[in-house]
Amino acid sequence: MTTITSIAPAASTGKTNSKTGRAPRRQRLLRWLFVAPALTYMGLFFGYPLVNNILISFQHYTPKTYFTGEAPFNGLDNWRAVFANDLFGDALWHTLLFTVGSLLGQFTIGLALAVFFSRRFRLSGMVRAVLLLPWLVPMVVSAVVWRRILDQEHGMLNTVLHAIGLAPADGVPWLSSPSVALLSAVLVNIWVGIPFNMVILYGGLQEIPRDVYEAASLDGSGPWRTFRSITLPMLRPVITVVLVLGFMSTVKILDLILALTSGGPADSTQTLGTVTYQLSFLQLDFGQGAVVGNVLILISALFAVLYLRANRADFGKGK
Amino acid sequence: MKQPTNLPAAVPANRPTRSVRLRSAWNTTAALLILAVLLFPVYWMLNTALQPDSSVAATEWFPTAPSLKNFDTAISTQGGSLLTSLGVALGAVVVCLALAAPAAYGLAQFGLRGGQTIVFTTLITQMVPGIVIANAMYSAYAELGLVNSYLGLILADASLGLPFSIVLLRAFMVSIPTEVVEAAMVDGANRFTAFIRIVLPMSRNSLITAGLFTFLFAWSDFIFALTLNTTDDVKPITLGIYQFVGAHVSDWGAVMATAVLSAVPAAVLLVVAQKYIAAGITGGSVK
Amino acid sequence: MPSVGGRVRAGIARAGGKRVPALAATLACATAALGLTGCAAEPDPGTVTVLNSATDTAEHTANQRFFDRCAKPLGIKVEQISVPADQIASKTLRMASSDSLTDILELDGSELPQFAQTEGLRPLKEAGVDTSGFSASATSLGSYDGVQYGVARSVNSLALIYNTKLLEDAGIDPPRTWAELREAAKKLTEGDTYGMAFSASPNADGVYQFLPFFWSAGGDEAKLDNGKGEAALQLWKDLLADGSASRSVVNWNQQDVNDQFVAGRAAMMINGPWQVPVLSAQKNVDWAVAKIPVPEAGKDAVPPIGGTVMAVPKNEDRAREKRAGDLLNCLNSEQNQLQWGESVNNVPTRASAAQAYAEQNPKLAPFAELVTTARSRTAKVGTGWPIVGDALAGAFQSVLTGRTSPEQAMDRAQQQASAGK
Repeated sequence: MTTITSIAPAASTGKTNSKTGRAPRRQRLLRWLFVAPALTYMGLFFGYPLVNNILISFQHYTPKTYFTGEAPFNGLDNWRAVFANDLFGDALWHTLLFTVGSLLGQFTIGLALAVFFSRRFRLSGMVRAVLLLPWLVPMVVSAVVWRRILDQEHGMLNTVLHAIGLAPADGVPWLSSPSVALLSAVLVNIWVGIPFNMVILYGGLQEIPRDVYEAASLDGSGPWRTFRSITLPMLRPVITVVLVLGFMSTVKILDLILALTSGGPADSTQTLGTVTYQLSFLQLDFGQGAVVGNVLILISALFAVLYLRANRADFGKGK
Repeated sequence: MKQPTNLPAAVPANRPTRSVRLRSAWNTTAALLILAVLLFPVYWMLNTALQPDSSVAATEWFPTAPSLKNFDTAISTQGGSLLTSLGVALGAVVVCLALAAPAAYGLAQFGLRGGQTIVFTTLITQMVPGIVIANAMYSAYAELGLVNSYLGLILADASLGLPFSIVLLRAFMVSIPTEVVEAAMVDGANRFTAFIRIVLPMSRNSLITAGLFTFLFAWSDFIFALTLNTTDDVKPITLGIYQFVGAHVSDWGAVMATAVLSAVPAAVLLVVAQKYIAAGITGGSVK
Repeated sequence: MPSVGGRVRAGIARAGGKRVPALAATLACATAALGLTGCAAEPDPGTVTVLNSATDTAEHTANQRFFDRCAKPLGIKVEQISVPADQIASKTLRMASSDSLTDILELDGSELPQFAQTEGLRPLKEAGVDTSGFSASATSLGSYDGVQYGVARSVNSLALIYNTKLLEDAGIDPPRTWAELREAAKKLTEGDTYGMAFSASPNADGVYQFLPFFWSAGGDEAKLDNGKGEAALQLWKDLLADGSASRSVVNWNQQDVNDQFVAGRAAMMINGPWQVPVLSAQKNVDWAVAKIPVPEAGKDAVPPIGGTVMAVPKNEDRAREKRAGDLLNCLNSEQNQLQWGESVNNVPTRASAAQAYAEQNPKLAPFAELVTTARSRTAKVGTGWPIVGDALAGAFQSVLTGRTSPEQAMDRAQQQASAGK
């Protein structure tokens, strides 16, 4: 059994392009067959709903529509209404803070843990596996537990902080103050996201051939230098994947915030995700809900374009 | 784990000197500390589940008088749901990998026209909120007779991991030297056989990683399970938990017990999968 | 399992050119071949289906018992489809869009107008439901535009639930006015125990709990800035400022409030009769029920009326509507209502049954009395309720977290409510 030892993608690209370009027609078709099933599937499960969502944002789409099928087009009415709503701007800002904060925390801690668990020691594999457990806890349960932990007066976190002298006498108002609640939501989301980051980064670290490290240590470079000049660059493709996917799932987050704070206190944890939910499923104004959903998709598309431009090598054409 | 003894070749300077052993002990201690901090919420679930008589708001730090009452309730009502979850999640993994692996390979190696656009689109699809997909799928499912069926839920849950798997697998497959596959094709294998025989085994690590995450995504799915089922025929554990969560009153002890219980089979699977990843790594470094 | 995946993949690969229809066909065959399809194409004429939020086992079985009791003499079966309460509305709409609605819909009272407006519900009279003899508040809960679309078997409201021992020890009677409430809450606050607990969460729970104070003060949901509702905001603010209630109330839903009470961390709380089973099952706290305090002595409390209503969606097969109507008639007979009310601790809606209920359950009599003066959230604003409720939540959340004064909060809420129309 062999595994890939050379990962540097930039080095192995090019050259084969001319060959594949000249492939006979039948062969080219055959090649598309590798991609076709997944494309078909994505067309059905993502493309169709996406197009639907875009259409709805230009329609007067109400509960009645579900019964009668009638949804007259209303131009930009929904878009105007959403942009005129104060909450939208706030939610946009919160979404940004939430996403950046969560990603920074998840990634840094995830990478640190991945590096740490790459060392060989007793129980390393066991502990690494068990660290995935938070993922298996349904959100409704995590939220209940976290709300108890973050309770201002009786929460375990404040009790501990108080015992070691880090919290004020009346405790940190984790969820009950508008200026702290978003930070708390970020903290909980970091907790949720650590396993994901850790496992993928750990997998990436394992693909870096050991002899590179040995060479480095023969050269006498210290651990920090080795990390910066070998580990990070060689890990780059994986880091890209982790960050992009992390961004995509964080920016649309909904259930965690709903379960933790319902967007409160005083709308301080409203994000685009919760606003979509509120508009579509509480006020049953599906047109406006779809607008916010589309804005979300637009933002991610923008982000994806920028990121892909900066990292052509990692997401480029392949060979 | 017995890793160190398994990998003499991987660690060249593997003389178990005192300092090495001491360092290993330190590392283990640190790992257990990290575990304690990160798993505290999970401990709290277990703790609450073991104290059925205390109020949820005033749970003791330790279950001084533990009782298994909540677990009895959970086991007797949720056994079937656990099996359903397991079946659906595994099915989703199979569907997802079957779609993602060839696609990722095609995108990584064939230089297809529009390949980059496809990767880009794949990323964007990750963005479509689950509830939007679920809403749109329901009518289609109703017409196809896929509502309340295992297959329907498996197909839908596979979508949770598909874009992720394609992107991840592709990132790994880009680095497979073209020569390896071409050598096999010279030997008479066609492209598909070469893919199955050469590429898939080489990508084992990333396949397991992608599979693992698809499993986790599918396991924790709530939206699809809720949307695409109208009866209790196909009821995964995420829905089963709602047997104790009412509109007004919830039996949190039983909910926590169910959650703990539901984590067990999946955790076992995770430990096993991790072992395989470790095994794959050994192979790499030995070479 | 692998065979399923393999088959599907092969199917998709084969589909090739004409992708979508071929795939669809393959999928359909695959399900049929594997016997995995569970969705019956034609509804069974002998079965009446009900969509409700009775997800937890106790409520589900209790419901089934009453359904079965009524179904037997009618020669039918009743099947429940239960989803979490906050999912009822979207589930209903999805079912409507694919013509697979259940025969009976059990909606929250506050959601009824939005569904009635779709014209997808049958007026109850036309479905053969006897709508006479119900309390005025219950009728209003099930009505939209003067037509009754939903019938409530029982309703609930809010009251003051207090820890009898703590009040006795402090020598305090249950407060009847706001001034007494503030006074009592201050006195009862000691150590880990707050005098008062209520829910001010930014969702339906918090709004429901705010209403009795808002309405009793003269607040008007159709004109939030009429200058009366501020007093209610001020009261909540004072309770927090006095230290008589936890600042965490902005996070607590009604279950959390009850948890705090049961843990002995609150001497009094606002809550509903649905908590009675939990309260009765625990041994830590002795409790009793009193009416919600009012702004001034002698005034009547105006609590909100809550609960679910059962509605009959329009069906091409009128016989199905009729069967659903028959079932509703039976479920709402005086005896069934009384027994149902007792089993869920809610107050029956037939005036005669309500009276019997109050006599037989003296401990819950305050609830039974409240229901007669209680008001429906949607009577005035109808389909606008979600927006008004949201505006109210914004108001008390921003006041309790010190962001705005009560006056500013109400002005802003009114702007929000009128912008959303």
